[in-house]
Amino acid sequence: MRMLALCRMACEGFACLHLKRNVVALALLFVGASFSVSAAERDGAETGSDELRIGNGGEPLTLDPHRYNLNLEEKILTDLFEGLTTHDADGRVVGGVAHRWQTSADGLTWTFELREDARWSDGAPLTAEDFVFAFQRLLNPNTAASLAFFLYAIDGAKEVNAGEKPPASLGVEALGDHVLRIRLAEPFPFLAERLTYPTGFPVPKHVVGRLGDDWVKPGNMVSNGAFVLEAWQPHGFVRARKNPHFHAAESVRLAKVTYFPTADRSAAYNRYRNDELHIIGDFPPGEIGWLRQRMPNHLHLSPLLSMMYLVFNVTETPFDDPRVRRALALAIDRQLLVGKVLQSGEVHSASFVPPMVANYQSAVESEPTDPATAIVLLAEAGYNESRPLRVTLRYIAGADNKKVQVAIAAMWKAIGVETTLHHAELNAHFAALRQGDFQVAQAGWFGENNPEHYLDLLMSSTGDVNYGRFADAETDALMAQAKATAQVEERLTLLRWAEAAALQHHPVVPLYAVSVRSLVNPRVVGWRANVRNVHPARYMSLRLVSTAPETP
Amino acid sequence: MPRYLLKRLAFALVTLWAVVTVTFFLARMAPGGPFDGERRMPPQVEANLRAAYHLDEPPLAQYLRYLTMLARGDLGPSFRQKDFSVNELVAKGLPVSLAIGGFALLLALALGISAGTWAALKRDGRRDRIAVGLATLALAFPPIVVAPTLVLIFAVWLGWLPAGGIDGAWHFVLPVVALSLPYAAAFTRLMRGSVAEVLARPHMLTARAKGLPPLRIVMRHALPSALLPVVSFAGPAAAALLAGSMVVEEVFSLPGLGRYFVQGALNRDYTLVTGTVIVYAALVLASNLLADIVLARLDPRIGRA
Repeated sequence: MRMLALCRMACEGFACLHLKRNVVALALLFVGASFSVSAAERDGAETGSDELRIGNGGEPLTLDPHRYNLNLEEKILTDLFEGLTTHDADGRVVGGVAHRWQTSADGLTWTFELREDARWSDGAPLTAEDFVFAFQRLLNPNTAASLAFFLYAIDGAKEVNAGEKPPASLGVEALGDHVLRIRLAEPFPFLAERLTYPTGFPVPKHVVGRLGDDWVKPGNMVSNGAFVLEAWQPHGFVRARKNPHFHAAESVRLAKVTYFPTADRSAAYNRYRNDELHIIGDFPPGEIGWLRQRMPNHLHLSPLLSMMYLVFNVTETPFDDPRVRRALALAIDRQLLVGKVLQSGEVHSASFVPPMVANYQSAVESEPTDPATAIVLLAEAGYNESRPLRVTLRYIAGADNKKVQVAIAAMWKAIGVETTLHHAELNAHFAALRQGDFQVAQAGWFGENNPEHYLDLLMSSTGDVNYGRFADAETDALMAQAKATAQVEERLTLLRWAEAAALQHHPVVPLYAVSVRSLVNPRVVGWRANVRNVHPARYMSLRLVSTAPETP
Repeated sequence: MPRYLLKRLAFALVTLWAVVTVTFFLARMAPGGPFDGERRMPPQVEANLRAAYHLDEPPLAQYLRYLTMLARGDLGPSFRQKDFSVNELVAKGLPVSLAIGGFALLLALALGISAGTWAALKRDGRRDRIAVGLATLALAFPPIVVAPTLVLIFAVWLGWLPAGGIDGAWHFVLPVVALSLPYAAAFTRLMRGSVAEVLARPHMLTARAKGLPPLRIVMRHALPSALLPVVSFAGPAAAALLAGSMVVEEVFSLPGLGRYFVQGALNRDYTLVTGTVIVYAALVLASNLLADIVLARLDPRIGRA
């Protein structure tokens, strides 16, 4: 309203001026008119308070759960769909469409009992057959699902996905409307967690069959989660409304959730500060001090299940020499990186498995930073002051990454290593890494609450995401043995040994688990920090009292 | 006049074809591809994807296929925005860009014409200096500087206007202002020079001698001829405003064509990049054509030449 009054005054003032000036007055009237519309609309927009507005970090490229590829898509899809299992508000794995499941003694057969009140958003019953259809669709090569390998644990999945077997041969079958049986190719005790990803979501056979690829468009999409897609303006917003057919609909408090593709974190931060967004998952790191002082009840720093590490290309000199790798690892002070350089709640780790992974105690001992030993090791490998080691360190473009890599280069300089820094945007960076086009590089891995998810990267059979092409017979044998073991305790022990076996060769330097920097408006109830960084909207609500963020 | 127009139209179509051809091949020459990601997909899946988008065919075959599609008005499927075709994306993004660019053009014309005329009436006086000074300032600061500054002042500090997005008319205010300022400045300077020049002509003296009121002299006798340079600049300016809002769209998180173009280029979304460039080129050509027509109406000598 302040704006409106101001504009009227300005317009009236100019209208009184001499006739000769009426052109100017007209021009100002035009501006005034657009201001008055805006003020009125704005007042209206602030009244609806059951719409949660989330800054989602970027534009989703698809909302087809089988074609998705990005974490930001996963966040929307998790509100639209529900798999056999799902997450609670704290990020723990709980029953979703399945309310109970059993595993056979050999760990190869999983039987899920489905809720009888599970329905699609059009009211049609959701049955085990929808899951069979979904899993076959995911692994059908014609679907071109880039994350199909998430479910390669299922018997026949790899062959189906490679086009060697028909989708019908997949080890998934419906035993009646409400019982689903999944056969695995090898024991995989972490299946319940793996099924929380959109790759494990059901799709409505009755709609996909009728509409084909168009089923995913707003107006067509039928889903089974707490919310259903209402509108999607690409690069503008994705809006979902409450699904009245959701089995726990009575506990869902929000009427709408809108996800904004806030790719630019400064813009997202401005919109948050201006009370346009309730939640953002990132903001410019330079603001953290100000936020700590002025908006502490908005700020949440929480470590994420993730590992940032350096990877050496072990197929080429100088990093084919384990002494060189160990020397560079010994020169890095992780505590300094986390405590002085990043300062945002990251957790340093000498283990390649993030320290917050449940039930896993790494056998890797943290060696203290030791530049003296590093210099000796380099000398043994033939590098000294007159013949210094020169390396190129590749990293992903970005302010945080740059700070860390510059600090690492400085630590290496202290042991006489000359480092050239080379940055590239994310996709180009990882394309180079997959092709083995690097000496030493920054890499990161995000995801699950199971150690295998990370240790797989150190197996020789992993392919090009084992960027450094590390191959160690002992590690491979222990990993293979672990993967054949159904008993969880025994499996975890074998994984610990495998990790220790691999890391004694220093193929990678684990650095830290990253921290998620979120801003959450205190009006939002039910948002809980967790290591998976999952925040399903079905558990959230908005307090009615408006508490606008403080302004300077 | 019709022959003149037909000639201009034919020239525009040839230009458009050249733009299509260059963009089609340039996009494919950029390093990387649309399906590059952090993780690698199984070879079978990648082969299926490439076949689905005809990327396994030789470039010339792809080009001919694309031209055939274009002739039917089909810009193809988006390689990365998998749920939409490029036509659907353009249909969603173009109105946003047109609205912002259109309002910015109107604002720039309104401000520029009035301020330029106002300044020219008292040439070298105080208000002339103020207008010219402000115009120079506005020209010196491009939208990439002005836009974030406006956000900082009006959204973050004062909290009067939204910092981004499109949830209603009030979301358009800051982007339109940021986009229009340099053009308003350019129009002001053009208009000022032009009005001053026309006012010095002998028929103005005649009009004054006949005792016509000053407002009538300016509106009726000076403005139509003084507008000529403004109109010929308005053509390219309209094209630049409608197409050139990439920076403003990024800063204000607006879902216009500019963002599609930037994201399409970053993601190697060949069809989206080519599609947005075609739409831009068509806009540029159409607004130039329109300016030609208006000029021919204002000055009959042009059409006959």
